[in-house]
Amino acid sequence: MATASVNGRTVDLPEDDEPLLLDVLRDRLGLTGAKLVCGAGVCGACTVLIDGAAVVSCLMPAKAAAGKTVTTVEGIGAPELHPVQRAFMAQDALQCGFCTPGFIVEAKAFYDEWRTKHGAVAPSREDIGAAFCGHLCRCGAYDNIYRAIVDACAGAYDRAGREAPRLGARDKVTGAAVYTHDIRHEGQLEGVILRSAHAHARVAALDLSVAQRMPGVKAAVSLLDASRTVTFVGDPIAAVAAADRETAERALGAILVQFEALAAAIGPEAALAPGAAVVFPRGKGLKYNAGEGGNSPASWNGNLRGPVSAFSLRRKTARKAIDAARAANDPLLVEGVFRTSAQQHNSLEPHVAVAHFDGEDLTVEVSTQAVSALGAEIAKHFKLDPARVRVLAQHVGGGFGSKGAMRFETIAAIELAKVARAPVRVAFSRHEELSVAGYRPAVELRIALLPARDGSLSALSLTAHSDAGVAANNTVAGLARLIYTAQAKELLDYDVISNLPPGSPFRGPGGPPMAFALEQAIDEAALRLGQDPIALRKRWDANPARARLYDWAMGLDVWKARTAPSGEGRYRRGVGVAAGYWLYLWQADTKAELSVIGGRLVASLAVQDIGTGTRTVIADTLAREFGLDPSEIEVRLGDSKLPLGPGSGGSRVTASIVPTLLEASAKLKARVQGAPAAGGNAPWRARLAASPDLSVIAGRPADAKRNIYGNASLLHEAGIVGRLFGWMLRFQQKLAVGAGAPSSVQVIEVEVDTWLARVRVLRAWSGIAVGKLAAPALARNQAAGAFYQSLGHALYEGREIDSRTGRVLSVNLDDYRTPGIGDAPPIEVHFEESGFDHVPGGSVGIGEVASVPTPAALANAVRNAIGVRPQEIPIRPDRLLALLKGAAHVDGR
Amino acid sequence: MSMAADPTRPEYRAAGTDLSERRRSGVSRGALLDVAAPAGVEPTPDGGLRLGALTTIAALAADPAIRAGYPGLAAAAAGLATPQIRRMATLGGNIAQRNRCWYFRNPDIACLKKGADACPARAGNALYAVAFDSAPCVAPHPSTLAAALLAYDARLDTNQRRDAPIAEALGDGRAASAETALRPGELITAVALPAPASNERAFYKRAIGRAHAEWPLVELVLRASVEGGVFAGLRLVAGGVAPVPLRLQAAEAAALGKPATATTFAAAAAAAIEGANPLPQSRYKLDLLQGLVLDLLEQAASQG
Ligand SMILES: Cc1cc2nc3c(=O)[nH]c(=O)nc-3n(C[C@H](O)[C@H](O)[C@H](O)COP(=O)(O)OP(=O)(O)OC[C@H]3O[C@@H](n4cnc5c(N)ncnc54)[C@H](O)[C@@H]3O)c2cc1C
Ligand code: FES
Ligand code: FES
Repeated sequence: MATASVNGRTVDLPEDDEPLLLDVLRDRLGLTGAKLVCGAGVCGACTVLIDGAAVVSCLMPAKAAAGKTVTTVEGIGAPELHPVQRAFMAQDALQCGFCTPGFIVEAKAFYDEWRTKHGAVAPSREDIGAAFCGHLCRCGAYDNIYRAIVDACAGAYDRAGREAPRLGARDKVTGAAVYTHDIRHEGQLEGVILRSAHAHARVAALDLSVAQRMPGVKAAVSLLDASRTVTFVGDPIAAVAAADRETAERALGAILVQFEALAAAIGPEAALAPGAAVVFPRGKGLKYNAGEGGNSPASWNGNLRGPVSAFSLRRKTARKAIDAARAANDPLLVEGVFRTSAQQHNSLEPHVAVAHFDGEDLTVEVSTQAVSALGAEIAKHFKLDPARVRVLAQHVGGGFGSKGAMRFETIAAIELAKVARAPVRVAFSRHEELSVAGYRPAVELRIALLPARDGSLSALSLTAHSDAGVAANNTVAGLARLIYTAQAKELLDYDVISNLPPGSPFRGPGGPPMAFALEQAIDEAALRLGQDPIALRKRWDANPARARLYDWAMGLDVWKARTAPSGEGRYRRGVGVAAGYWLYLWQADTKAELSVIGGRLVASLAVQDIGTGTRTVIADTLAREFGLDPSEIEVRLGDSKLPLGPGSGGSRVTASIVPTLLEASAKLKARVQGAPAAGGNAPWRARLAASPDLSVIAGRPADAKRNIYGNASLLHEAGIVGRLFGWMLRFQQKLAVGAGAPSSVQVIEVEVDTWLARVRVLRAWSGIAVGKLAAPALARNQAAGAFYQSLGHALYEGREIDSRTGRVLSVNLDDYRTPGIGDAPPIEVHFEESGFDHVPGGSVGIGEVASVPTPAALANAVRNAIGVRPQEIPIRPDRLLALLKGAAHVDGR
Repeated sequence: MSMAADPTRPEYRAAGTDLSERRRSGVSRGALLDVAAPAGVEPTPDGGLRLGALTTIAALAADPAIRAGYPGLAAAAAGLATPQIRRMATLGGNIAQRNRCWYFRNPDIACLKKGADACPARAGNALYAVAFDSAPCVAPHPSTLAAALLAYDARLDTNQRRDAPIAEALGDGRAASAETALRPGELITAVALPAPASNERAFYKRAIGRAHAEWPLVELVLRASVEGGVFAGLRLVAGGVAPVPLRLQAAEAAALGKPATATTFAAAAAAAIEGANPLPQSRYKLDLLQGLVLDLLEQAASQG
C-alpha cells in the first residue's frame, strides 16, 4: 500500500484513484486545519506543503502524495511556533481565521525560502502580492497580513515575544480552532439538498421512496411548504442524509420530482415588462425578507412593491422644486441614474449546521451570527420547548450578514437528524454559497439633487429599485434622510420582485448603494458650484463627529494636492472622497453573567465571535475594569444556553455588551468587596483570587440622557415616522436606536490605466468616528477589512446570471471575483474617538460604517482621474472602456 | 450532466488541477488514467529544447534555458494561475485543459461541449466570450502556454504522432468534445522548441481587473527583433479572444519593416482586430487587445 509521511507520521493512502488529498486529510485523518472553501484552486484555504512546496490539496489526487512528505498547518509550530505564526498573532493578521491556516502554510514556505535567499530583509509589497495571490481572505485582514509577513521575514519574530491582541489567535494560526465545518461526530451523517432546476414551478409529485431505500441512505425528507411552489432556481425541495456525501448526492438523483412549470419573471427588467408573470400576486406567498426589520406595509403593483416613502421630508415640495429646476434648465440641478450590483457575502466558512437529538433535546452546532436568536427561531419553527434547544458556535468563519437567521442548512440538518436519529451535518458547497445563500441586493438609484442659490441644499429626490429576487423590504433611499440637511427630501423605496434567489442583509444593508448615488451627486454639485467637495459636505452636514472627520480629510496632503482631470496620457490619477454613516443600535435585552470561579474572572454571554473580535472586546473591557491582562479572563460565548446576547448584525454587539459588562463589573466588585475574603485595597487580581466563587447577572443599562446631538435617538431626526420606526424596532426586536451616528469619511487615490482599462487603488484613508475603541488593537483591522470588502464591490464583485433560466453563473471563485492581497492598497485609518460619551464605555460598532462610503469614494476618484463619472459598479474593464469611449470630451473640472 | 464524449474511454490525469475540479463538481465522470510521460527540460541536437509533458509550469518558468532562449514562454508560465497551481500543474495538462466557460463548468447546465446541440452562452451571458467568433462554442481557449508555444513554433510528440506543429494539435477550435484537435486517446508526451532566435525580445501580458491570479480577459505573447530602429521580426499571439490561440498576422504585417515608433504601434493595434466578429458583450475585448498590442510593442521598442 502506498504511504505518505503526514506531519512526520506514516499514513496509508487510499488505493483508489478518486480521493483528493484534502478530503483524506480532513475526513480520514481528522486534520481539519486545511479548509475546503472553493475546491477549485483559487482561495488557497486548503494549502499544504508537499516536500516543502505549497500546493492546493483540494485539487491534488491523494495518490500523488505517495512517498512524499505532507505538512499541514498542524505540523507547523509544534512544539514551538514558527516565526510567521508569531507574526500573524502579534500583528493581528486575521479576523475570522478561516483563511489563516492556508496563509500560514504558504507563509512558512515563503519565509524559509526568503531567508535562505535574502537573509533577514523585508520583502516588498509587490513580492508578497505576487507570492500570496493564490490566497483569498474575505474578512480583508490583508493589511496586517502584509505587516506580519514583512516583519517576520525581516527577523522581528525569530524569537518568542509579543502577545497576540486577539483572543483565540493561537488556535487559528495553528489550525486547532474547530469551526462548525470541521466537526466530525461519531456516526455523523452528511446531508445534501435537492434544489429546483426551475425558476418557477409547482411540485406536482415528490417521491422519496427510491432514494430512501438506497444503501447507506439514512433519511430523506421533503423541504417543501404547503404551497409546494418553488420560486427560484435552487429553491430547496428535499434533503437526504447518508454516511458520506457521494452516497447522499447519488440518492438525490433517485428522488422523483414532477414539476408543473409556471411562467417566470427573471430579473427586474423582465419583472416590470408588460404582461410579466406575477411572482406573488399582491404579495401572497412572499417569504423572504431582505431587510433587517420586520416587513413594513407597502402597496403592490404586479412585481413592484412600494413605494415606501415614510422617510421623505415635505415630499411634494421636493418634487415641485426639482421639476421646476428641470423645466428651467437650472445648471445646478444634478441628476443621474446609478446602479450597484448584487454582492455575494461569500464567507469562507459556508453555511453549515450539525444537528443532533438526544431524546427530546436538540443541539445544533451552526455557523451563525446569532446563537441566541437562532435558538428561539428553531424552537418556534420546529415547535420545540426552547429550553431543550441549544445552539453552539465556537468559531465562525465569517458571516457579513448572511448568517443572521435560520436558513436551509439548519432546517435540513434538523429535519434529517430527526428522522435518522443521528448527528447530521449539512454544509453548503461554494456553488450553493454563491447562488442561494443570500447577497446584497442590486439597486438602481435615480437621484436629483438641487442646491439653492444661497448655497444650501434645497431639495433631494432619491428613488431606489432594489432587486432582491424573491425577497422584499429593502430600505435604501430612506437612509438618505439621516445625513445632510435639506429643505425637502423625496425618498422612495421599491422592491422589484422576480424569480431569482432571495437577497439578504449584508454589512450596512442599503448603505453603500445609497451613498454611491448620493455621494456622487454631491461631488457633482461641488464641481458645478466650484466648491471643495469636502467643504460642501461639511456645510450641508450637521453631524458634529463628521465635521471633525471632514477637517481631518481636508488636511490630508493627497487632498490638498488634488488637481482637475487632464484627459491626457495612458495613466491618469485621481482622488475622491465620500462620507457615510450607520445607525447606532443596541440590543436592549442583552444580559451578561460575570463570575469568579476558582479565583478567575469568567464572563458568559450568548454572543458569538464571527471574526469581529467579540471575545477580545469582552476580555479587553473587563481587563481595563479589573486591571488584569486580557488573557487572565475566561470568556464563554457561542452557546445559546448562556445569558441572552445580541446577534452579530447591525454593528450592535460592542454597543450592547460593553455597557452590560461594565454594569456587571460594578455589581461584581460590590459583591467581591463585600465578601468576607475581601482584601481591602489590594489590587483586583488579588481580591478576585481570594474571593469565593460567586456570580452576578447584569442587563444593558440605558445611555445617558444628555448627549451632544440633543436627541435620544438618531431616528428622531426623521420626525414622527422615525419615532414610530424606532418604537417598532424596540417593541418587535428589543432593538434600540441610540443618539449619534457611527460615521466614516474616506479618501481614495486611484490610477486608471486607459489602455488596459484597469483601476488601481494607490492609497486609501479611512476616517472613522465610533467613539472610544473597545479593542483598539483590533479596530484598525476591522476598519481596513470592511474597506477592502467594499472596494471589492466597487471594482470586481458582481453576481452574473443567465437571464433565460434564472441560473446564477458566477458560482465559483474564478468567476465571482473578490479582492486578493495584491488588490489591497496601503490604508491609513484615523479614529475620532469622541461623540459617544453618552454610551456607557463610550464605544459603538465599526463593522458596517467602515464599508459605507467606499464605492462612492472610489467612483469620485475615478471621476477625478478621467473626467467621466462611473454610474455602475463594479467598475469592470468593459465598463471603464465604455466610460472612456463615451466621454466625447473629458470634463476638465 | 456528465460529459457525453465517450464514457468508456478514460480521461487522462496529470496533476489534476483542472480535472479534479470538474470531477468534484460532477461535470466530468468516468474512468481515470494517470499520465505516464517524461518531466524535465533537455537540449535537443538542433539547438532547441525538449520539454517533457509532465514538466510543471513552475519548472518551465524557472528553467534557465527557457528564460534565456524563450523569454516569452517563461513569462507566460510565470504569469499564469497562482504559485500553488504552477507548482503542480503540468505542461501537457495545460495544453489539453478544458475551457472555463461558466456554462460548461456548471454541472447543472447542458452545453455543446457536454453533448447538447447548442451553445447556451451564445444566446446567454457572454461576458467572457470570444471576440473572434469562429466556432459553434463561444468559449475562448484557456491555455496560456498554448499561446506562447504557438508564438515559438513548438511541435508536439504524442503517443500517436511525432513532431506535429502545435497549430495542428490545437486545430480550429471546432471540435465538439475538446478544446484541441488531439485524437481520442492521444497523449502528449513532449513539446519541442526550435533553436532560439538571436537578437530577439519577448514579452507576455494579460488584461485583467485585479492585480493577479485572474483568468485573462485577453492575453498576448509578443516576440520582436528591432534592427536599426525597425521591426525586423515580429510574432504576436493572442489568447482569451478566440476558440484557439490566435496569431495576429495582420498586426505583424502592419509593423514589420516599419520604424519602432508610436505610429507603427497604432497601425499594428488597428490591424490586430482585423477579422474580429465579437458578440455584443465581448466587444470590449478588442479594445483590450489593442491596448496590449500597444503596450508590448512599446516595451519591445524601448528595451534594448
Ligand atoms: C485558479 C486557477 C487559475 C488558472 N489560471 C490559468 C491561466 O491563467 N492560464 C492557463 O493557461 N491556465 C490556468 N489555469 C489552468 C491550469 O494551468 C491547468 O489546470 C493545468 O495546467 C492543467 O495541468 P494538470 O497537469 O493539472 O492537468 P490535469 O488537470 O491533470 O488535466 C487537464 C486535462 O488535460 C488532459 N491531459 C493532461 N495531460 C495530458 C497529456 N499529457 N496529453 C493529453 N491530455 C492530457 C486531461 O485528460 C484533462 O482533460 C488555472 C487553474 C487554476 C486552478
Ligand atoms: S479550497 Fe483549495 S484552493 Fe480553495
Ligand atoms: S480572516 Fe481571512 S477569511 Fe476571515
